Amino acid sequence: MASHNLEIRRSSASLWGEKTGMRHLPVVSKFIDTTTCIGCKACEVACQEWNDLGPVPTQQTGTYQTMPELDPEFWNLIRFNEQEFDGGLVWLMRKDQCMHCEDPGCLAACPAPGAIVQYENGIVDVNPDACIGCGFCATGCPFNVPKFHAKTGKMAKCTLCVDRVETGLEPACIKACPTGCLQFGTKDDMVALGHTRVEQLKANGFAHAVLYDPQGVGGTGVVTVLGHGDHPEWYGLPGDPHVPLGVRFWKSVLRPLGVVAIFGAVLGAIGHFMYQGPKEPRETGGEPTGGEPPRAPRA
Amino acid sequence: MSATASRPSADPAVLRARRSEDVVIGDEIVRHRLATRVIHWAVALFFFLALFSGLPIWTPIFGWMAHLLGGLNVCRWLHPWAGLLFFAAMAVMFVHWLGEMRLEKNEREWLRPRKMVEYMRYQGEDPEVGKYNGGQKLFFFAAGLGALGLLLSGVVMWFPLEFPRILRELAILIHDVTFILFVVAVVFHIYLGTAAEPGTFHSMIRGTVRKPWARLHHPRWYREVVGGESRRP
Repeated sequence: MASHNLEIRRSSASLWGEKTGMRHLPVVSKFIDTTTCIGCKACEVACQEWNDLGPVPTQQTGTYQTMPELDPEFWNLIRFNEQEFDGGLVWLMRKDQCMHCEDPGCLAACPAPGAIVQYENGIVDVNPDACIGCGFCATGCPFNVPKFHAKTGKMAKCTLCVDRVETGLEPACIKACPTGCLQFGTKDDMVALGHTRVEQLKANGFAHAVLYDPQGVGGTGVVTVLGHGDHPEWYGLPGDPHVPLGVRFWKSVLRPLGVVAIFGAVLGAIGHFMYQGPKEPRETGGEPTGGEPPRAPRA
Repeated sequence: MSATASRPSADPAVLRARRSEDVVIGDEIVRHRLATRVIHWAVALFFFLALFSGLPIWTPIFGWMAHLLGGLNVCRWLHPWAGLLFFAAMAVMFVHWLGEMRLEKNEREWLRPRKMVEYMRYQGEDPEVGKYNGGQKLFFFAAGLGALGLLLSGVVMWFPLEFPRILRELAILIHDVTFILFVVAVVFHIYLGTAAEPGTFHSMIRGTVRKPWARLHHPRWYREVVGGESRRP
């Protein structure tokens, strides 16, 4: 869903970058309040409708959840979890989708130039034209979001409705939410709203309430209020997500070293030839089985 | 055309090099018979196919290579298949050459970098070098091991969503390290086989080497082959 209207801040497999720095946009963010979500799934339907994604068969797994995981044709999923807590049960719901990381692991891992881009406003998007469907982005993502679409051979995920946002509309999921647990605005505004909400929760018995905005990935373009912030895993969220060390090491250490090693080997061979010259038979004359004409000495 | 000979251009050395190895014909010795050469060049062909389709996926510095093959999408499709063919050819070559590549005791010293430096400085001539020297044998085993590492890690990277995350990350690192070492080794393999040691490339094309070449690079093999010749009726 590549946008041609937004300036690109970062692009996958790019050596130079496309940022001109001419057009400035505030970073945007979704706000998700898990404590006021009622699990109505209106956001799921709105996402399918706006993005022209067909109906995807539901999978019954013993909960209200539509399917166990995000799907290449289902980018917005409410996760339901029944959690034993304090001698009772809490019913937790969280809207799962791409987190639009400030430091996107998918973009770091992607080998195809321009297949994953981060726009000036922080939205992380897959560009199907350039995507080669290798799936490395799924390895780079700490939230297990990008999914391989077998029919098209491309990766697919939430676009944060970049085609709506770039024209000043809010994302489809936000528009559909009946309780106001989903909000959309600048990152600063959403973080401020989140902190206000966390304070309210703390004053009302949720001592461990937090605003989930993990700094391991530089913060996310989706900030989530968790009533039980000491247990993000109850919501299907990693405690301290970061771009996998293997991907970082691969791209920033191994790859430059490898380029140097390969060109170094070529230069080394040329240098050796200039310094040492070829190893050739020298005519000694004393060999009984020779018989070949003497080789002209090298100039 | 002349009626005196049915095959006026037939070169006895080339004809002999189709099937036989380690035989003397005039002032030439057959070093690699046709089958050996075909297997070697099959490995080389699939290696470069995999290399040229893999490098642009590895880094955009080599992005221009993707255009030679029809774009990055073609590379993503082609690379695993080229890799499979490379491994298959390598497996055939491994079996084909294994008997001749057994490391002798005194060739263990090739494991030390000092020996390789000595070799590159044309020092430490060893009259007991057989058909293949220790360095060639080590390269043979390293290439075999490397191909296995590339295959195993490559399969994981081919179907990345079928394997657990830790395995995927590990596969990327193994594939990268192995291929970098492989390419560095191949650069020197090609250099030694062409510019650095004139006459060597000949042995992989025509199949033969000249006697002085054999005496210089593989003295024991030379003595064995020439000695064998003199014993023949």
